[in-house]
Amino acid sequence: MEGLLAGNEDAVRALYARFARPVYTLGIRLLGSAEAAEELTQDVFLTAWRKAARFDAARGRLSTWLMTIAHNLAVDRLRRETGVSRPTLVLVDEVPEVAAQGEEDPLIERDAAVRALQSLSEAERRLLARAYFGGLTAREIAEADGVPLGTVKTRLRTALIKVRRANQEKERL
Amino acid sequence: MNCLAVREHLAELAVGVLPEEERPAVERHLRWCAGCRKEASELDQAAATFALALAPAPVPSGLGDRVVARIRQAAGAPGSRRRLRTAAAAVVAAMVAVAGLGWGAVMAGRAERFADRAAQAERRREAALEQFRKVLVGLPLGTQLPEDDTHLGQLAPTAAGRVGGGAVLELVSATRIDFVIVIVNGLPRGPGRLPYRIELRNGTGDVIRAGEIATLDADGGGQAFRQFQNRSLAGFSTVLVRDAAGRVVLRGVVGRAEGA
Ligand SMILES: [Zn+2]
Repeated sequence: MEGLLAGNEDAVRALYARFARPVYTLGIRLLGSAEAAEELTQDVFLTAWRKAARFDAARGRLSTWLMTIAHNLAVDRLRRETGVSRPTLVLVDEVPEVAAQGEEDPLIERDAAVRALQSLSEAERRLLARAYFGGLTAREIAEADGVPLGTVKTRLRTALIKVRRANQEKERL
Repeated sequence: MNCLAVREHLAELAVGVLPEEERPAVERHLRWCAGCRKEASELDQAAATFALALAPAPVPSGLGDRVVARIRQAAGAPGSRRRLRTAAAAVVAAMVAVAGLGWGAVMAGRAERFADRAAQAERRREAALEQFRKVLVGLPLGTQLPEDDTHLGQLAPTAAGRVGGGAVLELVSATRIDFVIVIVNGLPRGPGRLPYRIELRNGTGDVIRAGEIATLDADGGGQAFRQFQNRSLAGFSTVLVRDAAGRVVLRGVVGRAEGA
């Protein structure tokens, strides 16, 4: 990250080589077009370069930091474009296919991520996806499903904590 | 907002659906509470897992080159006609580092647990200057910034502003184009706040308007940059940030960068 901060081209290329795919993929999923995904990818790496000094390795992983930047930028963009306070996200088969564990995929991150999601029930995966990919707030989910708001919040939290635990167990291995 | 209330919102924050009106209070808390910040970052990691698990789409060839070109353009190529802008971009990066540095301490300094706030502020200033110097040394500058032309200061919240903070850099020189860069963080984005306006004052009450901050990112962070062709910034060491209603929300004084 120090290299990135200094604007070192090799550092940028190394970071790009490792994370361009998940960033671009998230762009496609959230924004729905190759053009928008490409713009998002450029914005994400530019933002990472600008904010490199703020990245604190002691507090989180590089992949989390970049994907959080990507998700925030994509959601901001949707909010700007639709002019509403809530994003109208593209809803296409929102749940990551846990079964398809691409062994051909060079990214260790993806493999670990796919396995971490296996700790969730189908309903939990769908709930998280409706929020994370669909942009539905807890209140909107509660209204759509006819369940109390508190219940949705608790379920969201429980599901995320399960993923977190799976992530942590992976790190201990 | 206390830790218990904040933690109820962290899952929604992590998946990006925390309603706009609830976000500022949560984000402010995270700036000074290390415990909740740790919790938030672990939930962020869990949320990011969802993105990382997607079946990867093929990335267009040449995109990597375009990313590098865009960053190079933002940094400004050394030796190009945009030399001053090169220095400015480097300084912006440095100032982001300063603004990001010890942010928790800025907010925590407002909490009761620091008995000696004055000593805390002084240490913070020293750390910021040290960080600034380190970052500046590591950057490929097209133009060197002489130290005695470079004035640096921290912005602190006023009684009316209560939150946020920032950093200011002024380049003051007889032979060069003067400029001022202001970096802020933790400012509210609510209605009636934006744009924030930057004002420089000298000892005799003259005022220079030094630009405005029209947008803030999710951290309440933003920056303003203005250069002056026919006007010297010498003596304009007091820096005020006003919100749209004219209230002074941040205030600071710049001093020579070597004074650490
Ligand atoms: Zn807390």
